[in-house]
Amino acid sequence: MSEVVLEMKDAAFRHLISSRSLTNPFGKKQGSGIFSINLKIRKGQILGLVGPNGAGKTTLMRILAGIFPIQKGKIMYRDSEMKEFSAISDFELRSVVGHMPEQVRWQGKVSVKRTLEDIAEMRGVSYRVDGILMMVGLSEMKDTPLDQLSQGMRQRLSLATALLGSPKILLLDEPFNGLDPVAIRAFEKLLHKLTEKGVSIIISSHRVAGMVHIVDRLALIHRGQLLIEGTLKDIENEYELDNRIEIQGSGKIPEFESILTDSASLLDTQTSEDGWLAVIRNQDRNLLKKLIESNAEITTWKSKDTDIVEMLCAATGQNLDEIGFGVISSTMIPYKSRGEEE
Amino acid sequence: MNDFEKLRSVILRQISSRLFSVRMAIMLPILILFIPGMAWGFSDPDIMLPGGITPSSATEVMFYTSLGIVFGATMCAVLLSFDGVSRDRASGVLEIKLSQPMARSHQSIALVMGHWLAILIPIWILWGISFLIVKYRIGDWPSFADLLASFISVALILLWYVLFSLIASSHAREQGTSIAFGVGVWFLFTFLWALVTTMVAFASGVSIGEENDPKWIDLEGVLDLFSPNGVFHHLLETRLDDVDRGVSPITTWIVAIIWSVLPWYWFTSRMKTIQP
Repeated sequence: MSEVVLEMKDAAFRHLISSRSLTNPFGKKQGSGIFSINLKIRKGQILGLVGPNGAGKTTLMRILAGIFPIQKGKIMYRDSEMKEFSAISDFELRSVVGHMPEQVRWQGKVSVKRTLEDIAEMRGVSYRVDGILMMVGLSEMKDTPLDQLSQGMRQRLSLATALLGSPKILLLDEPFNGLDPVAIRAFEKLLHKLTEKGVSIIISSHRVAGMVHIVDRLALIHRGQLLIEGTLKDIENEYELDNRIEIQGSGKIPEFESILTDSASLLDTQTSEDGWLAVIRNQDRNLLKKLIESNAEITTWKSKDTDIVEMLCAATGQNLDEIGFGVISSTMIPYKSRGEEE
Repeated sequence: MNDFEKLRSVILRQISSRLFSVRMAIMLPILILFIPGMAWGFSDPDIMLPGGITPSSATEVMFYTSLGIVFGATMCAVLLSFDGVSRDRASGVLEIKLSQPMARSHQSIALVMGHWLAILIPIWILWGISFLIVKYRIGDWPSFADLLASFISVALILLWYVLFSLIASSHAREQGTSIAFGVGVWFLFTFLWALVTTMVAFASGVSIGEENDPKWIDLEGVLDLFSPNGVFHHLLETRLDDVDRGVSPITTWIVAIIWSVLPWYWFTSRMKTIQP
């Protein structure tokens, strides 16, 4: 397993929200945020940060970017030259992290190159701008005014700002927004190149289907809490989403109750005029043989792909069939222990 | 690159981006009209101002020309800096800037210096040209001390308006609020302050409009210390021989320092806690 470069220990941050009263018209109180997050960032790995709207993904990214100072806990960092972890300040964090926020609306008559140079000056690396523009495919548009950039080009420029100064950790908030499919593929290739160089990447995205083949590890976050973090396999195991088989057939649906042993369980069945479909969590090697012996007419037998949405639903207690826009409704969430913030 | 070099280069970039902006190109003719234009008018040897005043020295002519600073330059300072923070905040660029390894106090210094110098450089050039015009028209040249006080006063009043605008910009969530605050403050101190002075005079039992009444002059002098435009004129008056409004030059300069330090501290504090 890759070495850990950054570790959050019981990190907490809560936004201050307005709480006006007659006696205190400028009063504020603590609102939403993140609570007691323990997270490890590993060298050269891509961590996917997934959660419903309002889960706290962007807040977590901003903490890691050194924008929001944590109110509790600590953030520890260890460089390749350092033996021990040491607490890292917001300022030090900003020098090792490259941050690409969600949806930056670059605007104005200033050129792409000039804009990137302005940011590079703040990092003290203005001499590297041309190479980075080439890396993100904007070298031919370096003199184009920002107002003329498409959404995809703006995303590339945001990525370019994150890559300035060769950061050790790259934070990408919804990086695929506005990118065309070819650009997404090129983007993924670039990310893998960066991880080969030892850069750790955290991607926060709602485009969960596209994240499966990119990420090495996944962190599910909900209502400011880290529900689980691990490899896809770990999470599948945790929520019993592994070893699932999707079987389709024609004719009458087999009587699974009599066929399945204790090592297999029926998760879902559907029947239609064309036939039937069953999803089974199976650890019984003889299941196919048993189905054939029971004269079931099987047309398709395949393992069910990993689905991050299912993981998220399993982790948050949401029902996939009943899922709606009200994803942050408090009625559907089993809380993890939150400790004192509860 | 050390912190100072980084700060210097960021300031230079801020200056050049605003100095060569479309906004500046629009404002420059107005500034030319207001500053050297007024200097040309007030230095007319045959001019007779209301009250039968005829400016007799270069310092006096430039004192009247300072109306161009009060009415034109301060408004341009507001228009140049009203979106100094709010624009980046609304577009999301502020989040990128705040995530750079540059101390927030340095970022706020760069913002203030960048906006201030971007308006100060053209104004100082026009102010210098105005002195040359006065020299050409009436043949008088101010002393070095007069010149120094004049240039510093101009720099300070522009700094104050830039700071007000940037503070508003850093608090505003959108640019409408920001410009409304900036222009509102400008309007208050430029036009409405006379009304405030009159009201306070009335409440204090001082006869209003009696311009030669010592009580009125003293009250106006004190109240002017609470207005940036008033302090600016106090600063210029420190170099005029026959003006006494009951406020000593030392008091005026101390108040000027307070007007500079407090808003700057407010803005720096705000930038340290600002969220994208």
